[in-house]
Amino acid sequence: MSTTSLPLLSPQLLAQLERLELVTRKIFRGRMKGERRSRRKGQSVEFADFRNYVPGDDLRFIDWNLFARLDRLFLKLFLEEEDLHFYCLIDASRSMSFGEPSKLQFAKQLAAALGFIGLCRADRVKLEALGSSRTQPGPALRGRGSMWRMLEYLDKIEPDGSTSLVDGIKDFALCNSGKGIVVLLSDLMDKQGYESALRFLLAREMDIYVIHILAPEEIDPEVQGDLKLVDCEDGDIAEITVSRPLMERYKRTLAAFIESAREFCTRRGMSYLMSSTATPVDQIVSGYLRRKGLVR
Amino acid sequence: MSGLEFLPSFMQYAWYWPWLVLASLPPLLVLLYFLKLKRRPLEVPSTFLWHRTIEDLHVNAIWQRLRQSLLLFLQLLFFALVMLALFGPGFKGRESISERIILLIDTSASMSATDLGATRLDEAKRQAEEIINAMDDNEREAVAMIVSFSDSARVEQTFTKNKNVLRKSLREIMPTTHTSSLDEALRAAAGLANPGRTGSASEGDVAPANPEPATMYVFSDGGFRSIPDFKQGTLTTKYVKIGDDAADNIAISGFSTERNPENGKMQAFARVENYGPKEVTTDISLFVNGEFRDAKRAELPARGTNPGAAGVEFDLHEEDDGVLRLEVDYKDQLPLDNTAYAVLSTARPARILAATDGHFPALNWALTTEEAQKISQTEFVKPSYLDEKKYQDDAASGLYDLIIYDRCAPQAPPQANTLFLGIVPPQAFPGWPAGEPQNSPQVIDIDKVHPLTQLVDFNNVRVVRTLVVHKPKGGLELIEADVGPLYAIGPRQSFEDAVLGFSFMSKNEAGEEEANTDWPRRKSFPVFVMNAVKYLGGTGGHGGMASVQPGNTYAIRTVLPVEMVTVKPPNGQPIEVRREGQNVINFSQTDETGVYEVREGSGTKLGQQFAVNMFDARESDLKPAADLRIGHDQIEAVAKQGNQAARKELWKWILLLGLGIVLFEWYIYNRRVYL
Repeated sequence: MSTTSLPLLSPQLLAQLERLELVTRKIFRGRMKGERRSRRKGQSVEFADFRNYVPGDDLRFIDWNLFARLDRLFLKLFLEEEDLHFYCLIDASRSMSFGEPSKLQFAKQLAAALGFIGLCRADRVKLEALGSSRTQPGPALRGRGSMWRMLEYLDKIEPDGSTSLVDGIKDFALCNSGKGIVVLLSDLMDKQGYESALRFLLAREMDIYVIHILAPEEIDPEVQGDLKLVDCEDGDIAEITVSRPLMERYKRTLAAFIESAREFCTRRGMSYLMSSTATPVDQIVSGYLRRKGLVR
Repeated sequence: MSGLEFLPSFMQYAWYWPWLVLASLPPLLVLLYFLKLKRRPLEVPSTFLWHRTIEDLHVNAIWQRLRQSLLLFLQLLFFALVMLALFGPGFKGRESISERIILLIDTSASMSATDLGATRLDEAKRQAEEIINAMDDNEREAVAMIVSFSDSARVEQTFTKNKNVLRKSLREIMPTTHTSSLDEALRAAAGLANPGRTGSASEGDVAPANPEPATMYVFSDGGFRSIPDFKQGTLTTKYVKIGDDAADNIAISGFSTERNPENGKMQAFARVENYGPKEVTTDISLFVNGEFRDAKRAELPARGTNPGAAGVEFDLHEEDDGVLRLEVDYKDQLPLDNTAYAVLSTARPARILAATDGHFPALNWALTTEEAQKISQTEFVKPSYLDEKKYQDDAASGLYDLIIYDRCAPQAPPQANTLFLGIVPPQAFPGWPAGEPQNSPQVIDIDKVHPLTQLVDFNNVRVVRTLVVHKPKGGLELIEADVGPLYAIGPRQSFEDAVLGFSFMSKNEAGEEEANTDWPRRKSFPVFVMNAVKYLGGTGGHGGMASVQPGNTYAIRTVLPVEMVTVKPPNGQPIEVRREGQNVINFSQTDETGVYEVREGSGTKLGQQFAVNMFDARESDLKPAADLRIGHDQIEAVAKQGNQAARKELWKWILLLGLGIVLFEWYIYNRRVYL
């Protein structure tokens, strides 16, 4: 891919991203202590509450001062700080290789940007190309120092037509049991439908973001004449004769497709964002996603 | 040819060979139709959306098939049209006209004949419209004008290219009952085709505009005089004969009433003519005031060189007064001349003033006979009365119909007819030269046709002294003698002045009155006086009114000097006519045949009536003229309207239709998602 030569993240973008952090509307239990407060009471320097002692509690947390005054045992509770699991799924089907820059490149940039935000905040970041969960699972990353590994992994992602959207997500869901934020970067152009794929994510009770990536060539195709359209994924053929009414009908179909995806997501508590590859990544991250509440 | 040698010989020249090739095209087209369209492959990220887009089309699959078969049908139709065009279809049409044309349409009475099914005028209009239709739209010079003519010509439409305007003007042409005269129409047409030349001695002739050649079509049955003094110039005349040579027509060519001198009873005379090719026996009915009075049978021989004619005569009763209508009970192709009208009225007695010195009682006797008193009232006055104011007022107001001046003359011409005896009118009467006195004239000739000298026998009359009377311009010499004319009549405005060169008495050298002629002792004298009373008295004398032809002017003489009369045509609204300075009112709207009623002033009392009858042999003769004579040219009739029949090719239009079908097919093909 020619786009691999381009840097995924520019220094200006990095400086911009450093100030952001990933937000989730749900609070999940992280495996390791992280930089974010948890609803769970735990061990930290920040006091949270008292509760009655019950046998078996760690004696180290008994408030002896209270015991002296009230002659009763109380346990001091502290706020627990924990990490966040951030998953970014990149659809690397062949259809993503279209467009200039390609949709895949765009998805990589976006994934890198979001991943970098997570790394900066010591969240657990895992980027993965769909379908590679079994063969080549993405590395779980933490800390700014892992940025280069992340970029290296992203660079290696090549378009591959072997896995469908459903299978890819199913694999991901089976292999990754943790809860957290999932960002799906896809064009949703799967003939088996994207609905069943998204349902797998829903079952994991994750905070799901669907970023629907479309190339300008798809939004407003510039085709002419009698054409035999060949699907790059499965070689399927559609014969068309381009005419103005046909193009109008195509645009109506596209609008209906986007609208149905948006509705599907919204109804199920997923955040949906349609984005053209013509929109700059920094604008999406600091603009759209900020408004959507994914970053702050 | 050598390339075809491998073919069997009968096929080399087979006429159907090209057609076989042509006929194989449609199956080839159908074959081609089964071949898929060659489409350009294009790789796309996903056909997902495209499939959904064209999925709807599959729902309309039946329409798709219909559309396909419609396209095929249209293409086959196109090929069929191309093949049809190659056959070179055409029809027998007329060559388009690309020149200036002038259409002269005859609207005279004979054009109302129905020998061609519709009237001749309708046929003329139809043929003229064909010419208008044949005018070439693309030719700048293809303009036409329309002139209708009967006794006068009327430009219905000046030169124009606009066919709609021409057709409208053509349709608006209505038939008339008038006689026909091509003269004026020709001059109107020639004025536009050959503009007149003006010139002066120094510069020579100057043509104001270039004469432009034009073709003139005359649609007529030719019922008019030849035109000897007309130069066609750049005009090309084509005579389109309208009418059937064997047309059948019976016409009343004359109808009048006269008092029988033997018994004093009124009689009606009619002349009926047969212009048809076969002998006809027909009944002729007379109606008085709409009621049947009598019928006579007339046998009319077939037309030879002249039309077969017969006269009929009816006796009328003394009390008969009113409108006589004569009808021929025969169905022919021109009904217009099968009815004639006459008006029988108790004549208004003529008012006569006789200025005489009374030395000659025979004049008084002749004017006061029983017969004369029936039709006239005569007032005798002395010559000195002419100087009185009463006379001058009465004469100027038109009170008298006739004033007789016996050796005396008025100062100013009266508003009346005059008869001068033994004196030539003074200079106040224009045009009358002074008479020269002569002795013992020998009469050479008498005009026996003129009503004034009808039945007047002058052979045995001797005259001693006379003045030679030279007629004025437009006048007529009635009695001529060796020394010169003795009796002449001349027009003055709407009146007539009759002048007899000698009087009945004359003064001798001694100044005594003595007889100048022995005429009063002859029988012809009272006849002469009665003629003068009847003719100059303006009554006709016999109770029958004169008849005029349609389109001619009828002079209405009123009893009182009224300002206005109301004339009611046979079928129509009353028309008010104003006097123009005389006691004669000229009425010219005599377009219909029938009886016209005249009411004087604003009164409702019927003053007089007059009849308008066709009585025109040229119009009644329905046999169309074989040729026209214009100037020195004899113009033969053309069978139809003259332009050449020509084959009209249709292939251009068929190909154009084919092109339209191909465009339609392309449109459907491109809009197929809607089908």
